[in-house]
Amino acid sequence: MSGRGDAQIVERGFQRYEGRRSGVPGAIRSVSWESIKATLGLGRPARTKIFPVIAVVIAYLPAVVFVGVAVLIPGDILQPEEVADYPGYYGFIILAIVLFAALVAPEVLVSDRRNGMLAMYLSTPLDRRTYLAAKAVAVITTLGLVTLGPPLLLLIGYTVEGAGPDGIDGWLWTLVRIVLSGMAISAALAAVSMAASSLTDRRAFAAIGIVLLVLASPILAAALVEGADLSPSLRLIDISTMPFELVFRIFDQPGNFPELSTWSVLASNIVWTLGGVVVVWWRYSKLVIAR
Amino acid sequence: MQFSSTRALDQLDVSIPNGVTGLVGANGAGKTTLISLALGLLKPTNGSISVLGLDPTSDGPELRAMIGYGPERNVFPDDLRAYDFVRHLAEVKGLPRDEARSRASDSLYLVGLGEERFRALGTMSTGQRQRVKLAQAIAADPRLIVLDEPTDGLDPVQRDEMLNIIVQVHRDFGIDVMLSSHVLEEVERVCDHVVALAEGRLVAQGSMAELAGASGGIELELVELPDRPTSIDDVAASMSAAGVGVRRSGTTLSVVGLPDDDLFDLAARSVAEAGARIRTLGQHRRTLDDIFSGPIEQAQP
Repeated sequence: MSGRGDAQIVERGFQRYEGRRSGVPGAIRSVSWESIKATLGLGRPARTKIFPVIAVVIAYLPAVVFVGVAVLIPGDILQPEEVADYPGYYGFIILAIVLFAALVAPEVLVSDRRNGMLAMYLSTPLDRRTYLAAKAVAVITTLGLVTLGPPLLLLIGYTVEGAGPDGIDGWLWTLVRIVLSGMAISAALAAVSMAASSLTDRRAFAAIGIVLLVLASPILAAALVEGADLSPSLRLIDISTMPFELVFRIFDQPGNFPELSTWSVLASNIVWTLGGVVVVWWRYSKLVIAR
Repeated sequence: MQFSSTRALDQLDVSIPNGVTGLVGANGAGKTTLISLALGLLKPTNGSISVLGLDPTSDGPELRAMIGYGPERNVFPDDLRAYDFVRHLAEVKGLPRDEARSRASDSLYLVGLGEERFRALGTMSTGQRQRVKLAQAIAADPRLIVLDEPTDGLDPVQRDEMLNIIVQVHRDFGIDVMLSSHVLEEVERVCDHVVALAEGRLVAQGSMAELAGASGGIELELVELPDRPTSIDDVAASMSAAGVGVRRSGTTLSVVGLPDDDLFDLAARSVAEAGARIRTLGQHRRTLDDIFSGPIEQAQP
């Protein structure tokens, strides 16, 4: 039996709050995390988890297989990096990344406009700028699950197998390159997919638009360069290839289009990223939110 | 406030004191635009606005942390549970996670949804969703809550319950309330102050005591007589001829312009002369309807 001093109030009811408030940074953090949860179906019905789980499995499965192959086949027969190196790995999962981008941004942006949450968020300490920042953090972080996670798994798997990069410096340098690569791909695809999602109030239309853009741009680039025999620089308009081409350059490899300079590839990615940001900001600055 | 083709608010000069304030007007009167300006969702094209001593345009984040908002729309993320919805918005308004959790439950209990708090929003009735909107508006302990048509879609019983909760929020916790409605009766019932808008312009503002309640004049409801179809008009004409103001609304005449006792005498004489029959006769009680109807014009003696 409890003594008199142990008594405590367990049902306090509604009362005033005088404590600390986290302000705009806390609001950004909360909206980002809630958006990530919504995208991945966390805390939502099982049906909302199906597509994210499929995309994540597609992205990680090759890494699991490659690490398994590296474990099972002795190193003197086949070096792990002959199975798959880090930049080359993206070639196996590009479809999963594109599909994930087509899922994430529409869920994060379009849903809020359709279900009234945008007006709710803008009635909190968030304004349009900080709201979009929160959403960009959510999209980039979620895309990082498939752009950053699998190469990291590959690095850890190879390292555990004793076939990772040489020395601590080499290992850290590889880690930095993986992080830079994942961030570069995420940023470019996030900006482009958010731009597409800002232009329509239908998630399906946004998703289809993103996939079509990613499919059409390499076809157009190939038609211009190979079909019309124009400048190879026109490859730079290819949004589905340039982020992955940049990854090769980050790893000091010539990539699939050695005729393009690294600076031009970097510039292409920056232009696509900034272009997406400009479209999103233009769209949201014009949006009338009155209820 | 000028939109591309519409002037939503025009020459509005409003001051709203503490308490429960009703923002009344027909649909399209400018209520939601005024609320959006107060929240900083819209920037005024001309003029200025100050809420809780802050400018919504320049001090928006700081101001909105002190305001709870219940929008008119009833569309929310269907998959989200009511508790998660309220908790999340309390966190966005700056409460620490643990505090947001406990206050989400407390708020939902306060609005009568304690047992339903873990239901998905998509499975809730309109009445329950209206309560969830109120719960999220108060969960972060604002200084002011702004509710846009909080009784929209509710049946009379639900409406009474909602209005009682709104009054309780102000009375028990000192949270000021601004609610918009086009149902004048409910505003009269719960509000201390009123701002009335029509077509973007201010029609009236002041305390409820000033704008509604007992007032001079009488109300005379007559019976329609098949054998004397003009009897009501005859009574009205007779009273007008005596120099008082008369307004007919159906079978009811509102009469002003003399002390009430004199008006009662005049009514009795006019009814007798016209051969009409009285259904009810009493002092006129001014309502918010009168604000929109305008004053009764008196005939010149």
